[in-house]
Amino acid sequence: MANPILQVRDLKTQFATEGGIVKAVDGISFELYPGESLGIVGESGSGKSMTALSLLRLVPDPGRIVGGQVLFRDQDLLQLTGEEIREIRGRDIAMIFQDPQSSLNPVLQTGFQVDEAMLAHGKPKDQARARTLELLKKVRIPAAESRYKDFPHQLSGGMRQRAMIAMGLANAPAILIADEPTTALDVTVQAQILELLADLNRELGTAIIMITHNMGVVAGLCTRVLVMYAGEIVEQGPVEQIFANPQHPYTWSLLKSMPRVDALRHERLRSIEGMAPDLLRPPSGCRFHPRCPFRIEKCFTNEPRLEEVGPGQQAACWVTMDRARKEMGADELKDIRPGAGSNVHPGQEI
Amino acid sequence: MAATAAAVITRPIAPEQASLWSDAWRRLRRNRMALISAVYLTLLVVVAIVAIFKTPYSYREVGVALPYSGPSAAHWFGADILGRDVFSRLLVGAQISLIVGVGTQVLVLLVGVPIGLIAGYYRGAVDSIVTFIINVFYGIPDLLVAMILLLLLGPSLNNIIIAIVATRWMDMTRLVRGQTLALREREFIEAARASGAKPLKILFGHILPNALGPIIVQATFGVPAAILFEAFLSFLGIGVQPPTPSWGSMASDGLAAIRIAPHMVIAPSIALSLTLMAFNFLGDGLRDALDPRSRR
Repeated sequence: MANPILQVRDLKTQFATEGGIVKAVDGISFELYPGESLGIVGESGSGKSMTALSLLRLVPDPGRIVGGQVLFRDQDLLQLTGEEIREIRGRDIAMIFQDPQSSLNPVLQTGFQVDEAMLAHGKPKDQARARTLELLKKVRIPAAESRYKDFPHQLSGGMRQRAMIAMGLANAPAILIADEPTTALDVTVQAQILELLADLNRELGTAIIMITHNMGVVAGLCTRVLVMYAGEIVEQGPVEQIFANPQHPYTWSLLKSMPRVDALRHERLRSIEGMAPDLLRPPSGCRFHPRCPFRIEKCFTNEPRLEEVGPGQQAACWVTMDRARKEMGADELKDIRPGAGSNVHPGQEI
Repeated sequence: MAATAAAVITRPIAPEQASLWSDAWRRLRRNRMALISAVYLTLLVVVAIVAIFKTPYSYREVGVALPYSGPSAAHWFGADILGRDVFSRLLVGAQISLIVGVGTQVLVLLVGVPIGLIAGYYRGAVDSIVTFIINVFYGIPDLLVAMILLLLLGPSLNNIIIAIVATRWMDMTRLVRGQTLALREREFIEAARASGAKPLKILFGHILPNALGPIIVQATFGVPAAILFEAFLSFLGIGVQPPTPSWGSMASDGLAAIRIAPHMVIAPSIALSLTLMAFNFLGDGLRDALDPRSRR
């Protein structure tokens, strides 16, 4: 594969709160290759959105990026001046947000807002206007000329998200970060938006970072996926491989909790027991151990590192699903409460 | 049948097509008091402009009528202590009131909007300093600030405007700061930053347009407050200097002769009250019309 267009190394983003320091992103590293479509999956509070915002240095107060590197074309974005990073935003790396209703300025014409994305980077006004119309057509907004003058509240949710995507693509960025772009939309529109993103990814070669909690979205769009839990990457690898053979119990549980059309009728949908950890006081050892059915003694005390578990696939787990299947009967397991597979519970003599 | 169906489908959905401003205008028109006030104020502006070129009598010409004479066909509102035509003086007074009212608000906007935007957007030290200065200004009585400034600068019309701005800029600054604090957290501001918009563009192109409604309302309420303050200063004799008439100084002049010539107090007082009321009704109407939560 070619050289990565974006390299994130040991990125750490923290929030200083009254209760202490919240490590929202705790030392994650990954690469993004040109034209690739990478999914970042995790529950609410897993740090996936903060990762996305950290890449463009848009972390809201009182958040701070306290360490690491974000190398874009061999330039560390974290070292740039405010003016330099502003030039990168929207021109080289664009971002679209979850709720298109609130991401468009309610008092400005939709088309004008797309224009502005280009005007901010010095494109002449008439050229911007022409390109906006072209973009609105490209994202399949019907009657683009008349939609240009519409205010956001006059558009449907799907149309607003299309307009946001048009805004994101305005300067033909190398990377488009999409932070849960389909969450606020209904299912049929979700599918259209994903299809649109997939087409744009293919046609324009724009690399996409897709932030989502929905494994289905990843399956539909991405070639590679990072699974985040409590501010860390617990598993990463090619999508087919992760779906067919997840190695981290968390990934396995996420896939189990996904509704499937081809599931047997008597199979119950499983949710992951317990709650996402409090990042003020993350659990010792492996952060997933309080919820993990396959935990062993080591998981309580020692933190696992990402290790190669297959071609291009890495997982941070002492047990891994291969062993859980072999030794703990993971495939037949009906009870997925913490410690159910391994029968290791806290308070036991270790 | 098919034709009707097609017509129904292609017809735009009327209420949703309206933009924010045309929507507000539609609601303002339904508010009768605001509309009457707007008509009155328009007339006042027209009269004040006409009075620049032509008044029935010169506002400064002494003895065009008998001193203290009451209303008559030749002098609608009578004459004052020096036999000057009160009606002509009222018209010129309207100019003064409008210049002071609108002039102060223009200056208040020029001062308050940028400072409020910057304090609210950047927060931190800038905001602390601005908030501190605002509190200091609120702490000193308005009249004291205005009197000291007028004593230092001398009582000209420009200096009166400056003195009133010095006592009134805080309201607007605080309003804009508050609006900015709330708006900067909205997602579309984050989206604008993510698209590489410059800070000035975010402040004036994204935040300001969203705060325009409350700003307009605040400015509309600020006009009568400034007019009243000018009238008050002139009433005390530190405002507009004779022979230029101000509604405040006219009422003050008439006060001494209130028993024999009450029209000298009544005429400027009614003019002042009507104008203040009109601005307040218009402000109320604008507030209702521009508040998206009051959609009726």
